[in-house]
Amino acid sequence: MKKVFVIDEKDNVGTAVLEPIKVGDDVGTNGALTSIVVKAKADIPFGHKIALRDIPKGSIVMKYGLSIGNATQDIKAGDHVHIHNVESNRGRGDKFADSKGVSA
Amino acid sequence: MTEFMGYIRPDGAVGVRNHVLLLSGTVYANRLCDHVANMIYNAVSITHPNGRCQVAPDLRITRRFLSGTGANPNVAAVIVVDHFREEGCTADDIAQDISPTGKLIATVNIRSDGGFISALEKAMRYAADFSRQVSDYRRETVPLSKLLFATECGTSDTTSGLASNPATGVCSDMIIAEGGRTILAECTEWMGCENWLTERAVNEDVAERILAGVQHMEQRALASGEDIRGSQPTGDNIIGGLTTIEEKSMGACKKAGNSPIIDYLEIAQPPTSEKPGLYVMYGPGHGAESISSMAAAGAQIQVFCTGGGHTSSHPIMPTIKITGNAESYRLMKDTVDVDVSDVLRGDITMQEAGKRLFDEVIAVANGRLTKSEVLKDDNSFAIHRIGPSI
Repeated sequence: MKKVFVIDEKDNVGTAVLEPIKVGDDVGTNGALTSIVVKAKADIPFGHKIALRDIPKGSIVMKYGLSIGNATQDIKAGDHVHIHNVESNRGRGDKFADSKGVSA
Repeated sequence: MTEFMGYIRPDGAVGVRNHVLLLSGTVYANRLCDHVANMIYNAVSITHPNGRCQVAPDLRITRRFLSGTGANPNVAAVIVVDHFREEGCTADDIAQDISPTGKLIATVNIRSDGGFISALEKAMRYAADFSRQVSDYRRETVPLSKLLFATECGTSDTTSGLASNPATGVCSDMIIAEGGRTILAECTEWMGCENWLTERAVNEDVAERILAGVQHMEQRALASGEDIRGSQPTGDNIIGGLTTIEEKSMGACKKAGNSPIIDYLEIAQPPTSEKPGLYVMYGPGHGAESISSMAAAGAQIQVFCTGGGHTSSHPIMPTIKITGNAESYRLMKDTVDVDVSDVLRGDITMQEAGKRLFDEVIAVANGRLTKSEVLKDDNSFAIHRIGPSI
C-alpha cells in the first residue's frame, strides 16, 4: 500500500513524500498516525496533501497540529488538498489587517 | 547528563574548535588574510566586501558581525587585518571589542605596517606564533549547558518541514532540556506562524518584539517593492505542494522545536542571559547572512536543514547538514552529513531521528569534522546590510 506522512496526530491531511498517489489507490499513513487508510479520489503529486478525513467547508485544515488555513468547499477523505480548496488566514492582503495576533 | 569536550576560553566560554582566525576588516585586506591562512597550519580567513563607504547603521552592523565572529569561542586567536580607513569599524575598534574574551589578539594595518609585503610578513609571524601557542590548548569535559546551538534551513523542499526540520527541533529541545540554548533566526519565515511563536514567549514584551521584528522586515521589503506576505507561498512552493504561508512557515520554524522563547535578539546580538531555552533573532532568510549572524552571537555549532541538498558551511562554526530527501542525500552526500529520510518511510520515529542528529552534534562538539570542514568548503560568511554603499 502506498503511504503518506503525517506529522501530528491531530492532522487531517497527510503528505505524499515517498511516491506520487494515483486516483483509486489505497493510501495508508506513516508518522504520527498509522491506522488510517483512505482511497485516493484524485491523483496526488509528490509533495502534495491528501485529506485523511472529511473536512467540511469553513473548517480548519490541520497540519503540524495547527491550522494551515480553512476549507473553501467540502473536502472528502481521499481528496487532493491544495490551493483550489484551502485558503490562508494569514497570507492575504485583504485579510491581513484583521488577522489575529498581528498588531495594526 | 550529557557532556562534551571543548576548549575553555579565559572568559569561561567554551569552543568546539581551536582556530587561528585571520579576520579581514575590509574588502581591501581580504587577499592578505587568504594568503596567510593558506600558509599557516590551523589558520582560517574570514573575508567580505564590507567595511568601507557604508552608511553608519551598516558600519555598526559590520562591526558587530566582525567583532562577534572574532569573539566566538571557536576562535582561539585572532589577527585583525585592515588598512587606513574611517573611524567606527577599524581593526583597533574590532580588537577592542574582542579583547574582553581574553584570547590572543593582534592587529595588522597594511598602510602603517609598511605596505602589503611587510604587513603580510607581520601577519604571518603573528599567525605562526599563535598557531603554535594554541596547539598547547587541550579539550576539557564541560556540561552541554555550555552549548549555544544555531538552526538554519535552506534549499527547502516538501521533506524539509516533515523530516529534517522537526528532527532538528527534537534535537534542539534535547539540548535545551540539558541546559543549552538555541537560536532561531530568519524572521521572514516566522511570517504566518507568529502566533505559534508568541504563545511560547516567556512574557508579553518578548511576544510584542517578535511581532514588531516580523513587521519591520516586511515593511523593509515592501519599501523596495517586494510584497513578501502577498507573494507567499511562491509559485515554486505551490507546485511543490505548499498551500499557504502558514504551512510554509510552520515547516521552517519546526526546526527550533517547542521550547519556551526566552528573548528576542537583534541581528548578531549574543543571547541576553544564560537561561536555557530558545532565543529568536531578527534577520533575513539569506542563508550566509543568517548563519553568520548566529556565529557572531557566539553559537558554536549549527544544524542546517536542507531538502534539496546544500553546500553551506561557516568558516568557524561547524555546519552539520541534514536532509530528509533520500535522493538529495544520494546526490549531495559529499557535503550533507545526516540523512533522516527513513523517518518518512516509517522506519524510525521523529524522536529517533532527532536523537541521531543530537548524537552527531555531540560528536562534532567533541571534534569530529563535518563533511564541509574536511573539504575546506567554508563558503558561508556574509554580513547583513540595510543601506546603500556611499
